Amino acid sequence: MYLKEFKFYRPGTLSEALEMLSNAENGALKAGGTDLLVEMKKGLRSYSELISLTDLAELKEQNEDAEFVRLGAGLTHSEILDSELVRKYFPAFAEAVLQIGSNQVRNTGTLGGNLCTAAACCDSAPVLIALDAEVEMMNKKGTETIALKDFFVHNRRTVLKKDQILTTVVVKKCAPHTGVHFEKFGLRQGSAIAVVSVAALLTIEDGLCKDARIVIGAVAPTPMVSYNAINAIKGRPVSDFYEKSEILLAAGKAASEDSVPIDDVRGGAQFRRNVLNTLTQRAILTALRNCNMQNTQT
Amino acid sequence: MKEIVQINVNGTDYEVAVSPETTLLDVIREELRLIGTKRGCDAGDCGACTIIMDGKAVNSCLVLGVEAHGKKITTIEGISNGTLHPLQQAFIEKGAIQCGFCTPGMILRAKTILDKYEDVTKEEIKSELSGNLCRCTGYTKIIEAIESAKDIIQGKKPEEITYAPQKSAMDLSVVGKRLPKIDAPDKATGRAIYTDDIVLPNMLYGKLLLSPVAHAKIKSIDTSKAKALKGVKAVLTGADVPDVSWGTSPPRYDEFILAKDKVRFVGDVVAAVAAIDEATCYKALELIEVDYEELPAVFDPMEAMKDGAPRLFDHKYENNINTRVDHHFGDTEKGFAEADHIREHHFVGNRTYQNPMEPHVAIAEWDRHGRVTVHTSTQVVHYVHHQLSRILGLPLGDIRVVMTHCGGGFGSKAATNYLEILSIFLAKITGQPVKMRFTREEMYLYGRGRHKQYIDLKIGVKKDGTITAVKQKVVLEGGAYSSFGIVSAYYAGSMLTTLYKMPNYKYDGFRVNTNLPPSGAFRGHGVPHPRFAFESLLSMIADDIGMDHIDIRLKNAMVPNYRTCNDLDIGSCEFTACLEEVRRKSDWDNRKGNLPKGRGIGIGCGGFVSGAGYPIYRSKFPHSNAIIKIAEDGSKAVLFIGDADIGQGSDTVLAMAACEAMGISFDRISVVSADSDITPIGFGAYSSRVTLMGGNASKMAGEDIKKQVFEMASEILNVDAGQLQAKDNKVFVKGDPSVSVSWQEAAARYFSLKGPLTGRGHYSPPEGLGGTYKGAAVGTSPAYSFSATVCEVDVDLETGKVKVLNFWDAHDCGTAINPLLVEGQVEGAVVMSMSEVLMENQVFDKKGKLLNADLHNYLMATSADTPEIDSTIVDSYEPAGPFGAKEVGEGATLPILGALANAIADAIGARVYELPITPERVLKAIQSVKNQKK
Repeated sequence: MYLKEFKFYRPGTLSEALEMLSNAENGALKAGGTDLLVEMKKGLRSYSELISLTDLAELKEQNEDAEFVRLGAGLTHSEILDSELVRKYFPAFAEAVLQIGSNQVRNTGTLGGNLCTAAACCDSAPVLIALDAEVEMMNKKGTETIALKDFFVHNRRTVLKKDQILTTVVVKKCAPHTGVHFEKFGLRQGSAIAVVSVAALLTIEDGLCKDARIVIGAVAPTPMVSYNAINAIKGRPVSDFYEKSEILLAAGKAASEDSVPIDDVRGGAQFRRNVLNTLTQRAILTALRNCNMQNTQT
Repeated sequence: MKEIVQINVNGTDYEVAVSPETTLLDVIREELRLIGTKRGCDAGDCGACTIIMDGKAVNSCLVLGVEAHGKKITTIEGISNGTLHPLQQAFIEKGAIQCGFCTPGMILRAKTILDKYEDVTKEEIKSELSGNLCRCTGYTKIIEAIESAKDIIQGKKPEEITYAPQKSAMDLSVVGKRLPKIDAPDKATGRAIYTDDIVLPNMLYGKLLLSPVAHAKIKSIDTSKAKALKGVKAVLTGADVPDVSWGTSPPRYDEFILAKDKVRFVGDVVAAVAAIDEATCYKALELIEVDYEELPAVFDPMEAMKDGAPRLFDHKYENNINTRVDHHFGDTEKGFAEADHIREHHFVGNRTYQNPMEPHVAIAEWDRHGRVTVHTSTQVVHYVHHQLSRILGLPLGDIRVVMTHCGGGFGSKAATNYLEILSIFLAKITGQPVKMRFTREEMYLYGRGRHKQYIDLKIGVKKDGTITAVKQKVVLEGGAYSSFGIVSAYYAGSMLTTLYKMPNYKYDGFRVNTNLPPSGAFRGHGVPHPRFAFESLLSMIADDIGMDHIDIRLKNAMVPNYRTCNDLDIGSCEFTACLEEVRRKSDWDNRKGNLPKGRGIGIGCGGFVSGAGYPIYRSKFPHSNAIIKIAEDGSKAVLFIGDADIGQGSDTVLAMAACEAMGISFDRISVVSADSDITPIGFGAYSSRVTLMGGNASKMAGEDIKKQVFEMASEILNVDAGQLQAKDNKVFVKGDPSVSVSWQEAAARYFSLKGPLTGRGHYSPPEGLGGTYKGAAVGTSPAYSFSATVCEVDVDLETGKVKVLNFWDAHDCGTAINPLLVEGQVEGAVVMSMSEVLMENQVFDKKGKLLNADLHNYLMATSADTPEIDSTIVDSYEPAGPFGAKEVGEGATLPILGALANAIADAIGARVYELPITPERVLKAIQSVKNQKK
């Protein structure tokens, strides 16, 4: 366990960072470092240059317009939790972020870092995908925008090119009468890693589930949208959503059939499917409850 | 290239030249020498290195030093200015500090919690604190301390709780009091020195090259490139060190200083390097070229025992059976024939690791007279001393072993290790002091954790629940070397007999070598898995015959002054009182069978030796020895004791026993422990021996002092010494306290007239303990503890997740010398065992490589997992112990496994027979019952 020598760069602006990145021979971007430094210490990754993103004010910005909230990729998880915009528009996202690591990890780890590490069990992605979030990636040539659901390629692999920096996560504000919820299953109560996770988003109109998103985590190489689970609930009357109802059982089963989990130290594939089935049903019901609560408030 | 970093630490501005690859942890510890910030895992999982940076808690091991430029940092040294911070005060008073290694990080994290949330609730504290792991306390007292500090900060008066003393402590003035640990203030302020905190002038660092393969012949080793690397001072291989085998138990010395010709597991020690810093060591290790010829390996003990399986040792341990135990007491055939009901089942344990928060560290230094000093984080100064003397061929007097503060052990530091041995050899060859330390991964690979046991257990009972016969077969998965294994194999059998009367008992034990890290002695040594099996099966049998689970235990409960079928002599025993106490306070009779769906309640029991009756090697030395020296003015006593305080609080407990014996108050004593040059030999902290044995030695030394003080006081008061009594720093006439002289005056006068006032004490267990059959020594003890625990759980029947709600515990530890510390032991044992039962397990790949050698994937319970724990110390008095005391440390772990397993079985209507009881196994068990019903 030791860090091999590397050159350290501390750009003050995004354009400086992009310049350094394109000049680096075997460089990596360093955000919070809570994953990167551990992997470097263990010898799993090695870089000759680290370019720090911590000083870039541009990556700390957060703002909104009528339709979207923009969150800088350099915001730490704690900053996301303290963000009034997040709390106001995406409380379920805050709940998911609160379940990332420990307080110490959340105080240094960043939104962008969590997404770029791209672990299958990543806690921030499922809700964001459910919220139709997009990410902006910048290189010297310009900015590219892509749906977050398409950002992940495989476990620990993304579409981000070598010369690109993930700068912003753009989250669309929810349609009225929308409820969101994140369910996570870990093996202990605190500082747990997701063995299965599910984010559910439901929009209710005229007593029907007009729109829905079900995103499943830690049960495939990347967080993924379970279209079959969505199809199982979309368009169905709200009165059909109750514990163990036919629709919910179908949605749980569909999610579990969409998943492609592996066996690892945290659990077997079939176990993950079983838990996913249950968690999907719970996530949908809680999302619906959140939606109703929102309705009673407005 | 180094750059100049400006940081403000604890209000002082520093400019430090820092390389990019230096972490903030290293800047703080190595550059600024603020050693209160601890290195526990170096990977952000344990929280020991927590500091406050710009108002937020961060793991300093995951911050680059260069990135701390311009930041404001607070370490543990910075939160008290002369007076203690309320958190430090509360941690000390509430007993929230044991080994103290997690304490600085814990206090700093707690400070950020209290700074941010004025009205934080207990549940929020539990959840917010989950990034700081503690292995000693079970978090309970830490959470209490934080709540108490919150009150202090808010100016609220803390609630006064009155505690009823035990009957046996009623007339005592020091023993029986809830006193804070003697070392707690140093630990709360980050001043306590652990081995890694020591930096000697001109010191080198050393690292070990570990085998990457599980089983191979070493064809050749080329160290030339490593030796040529700038900064490397020495490289050693098996060819450079004496051909001496060593180990833990003399009949099974089978390890080498460095591998000879062969490696036997991934992690076996192949070479050692010393260099100017650790980074250079690591680079040198990469340059050592080893040519391995891989051999077939075996990882499963059942496979390993088969004919034709790969052999770890060619000339011994046939069929890889390292230890075979064949015990038969009474007549089991007859016993089973007399039974009305017989049930048997197969149980499987798990391979768990002690994971003390402090990694092993050793520093060796030779002096010009050919003496060597080793500072080490150990539980057993004397056994290290003895083993080093064997290996080096030096008399004990030429070796000094010094235990610094030890950040927890639980058995992982209960024997000599590679760091101690190789730092000596590297220091010898280089002529410089050498520090060696394990990383968290290396700790797992060094191993010596719990043997995974495969148990076949059979119990026969009469209709009324009376046990007629017990038969147990245990296969212990031993890993590559013996370590403590021979003893573990005996303990796994011998200790089943101490809780319940059983006239007929047969035990077959097989400890089997496999190509995995060696298994050793982990809290409860060999006994927890058999006890888990026994408590599970006993409850199953109770259900079969329609008997209440507590009633069947009461029916068979051990009684005082009983000789077990395997010749163990039980002295004091309040087991029945423990059972009745937990029945009462858990409201067992109303809860059992009446809980809502998913809830369950279960009982488990346990007990342990109060110190092994015999030493690990044949030795005639008294097991514990004490010297007390009184200051020339009579104001203070210093207790010199060889036994080791590894966080459990033995320095405090032994000092209390000494004070009580002398008749002085606790503020008049300090302790020097576990330094082979200064303190008389003590066998150390293992087999739950220190309270009884060290306590007796300390008490005897105190009485020796008192006798001499009385001699003087009798002259001063002109009364017969036999009429005198000493208490609370006063010597007075029995029945007439007005005729008195101050203790200090009498002691000072003694010194003036007669020279040094010293007292001596020693303790050896009674001779001839136990029977005469082979292995009869293992399980003998001067006294035995007893405990019962009721556990309540809530199980999510759809995911299998278990939430532990409550533990109600009662322990017979004789007189509790310090009830606060006894509670700490119980709470720590509860959470550790719960953690082992629910989530801990080492997982290997097909080639024998450990897949979860870190605290990220090897899960341990966090503060958020901590249940409510209600522990009671029952009235008891053990004649063999000091002031009636016996053990608590290991015995407290033993009831937990069965209680939790039985509670889960009660909740889900099915049983999991293999540890850990993971959600996956719970779901499977539920499913299999559902399938049966279909």
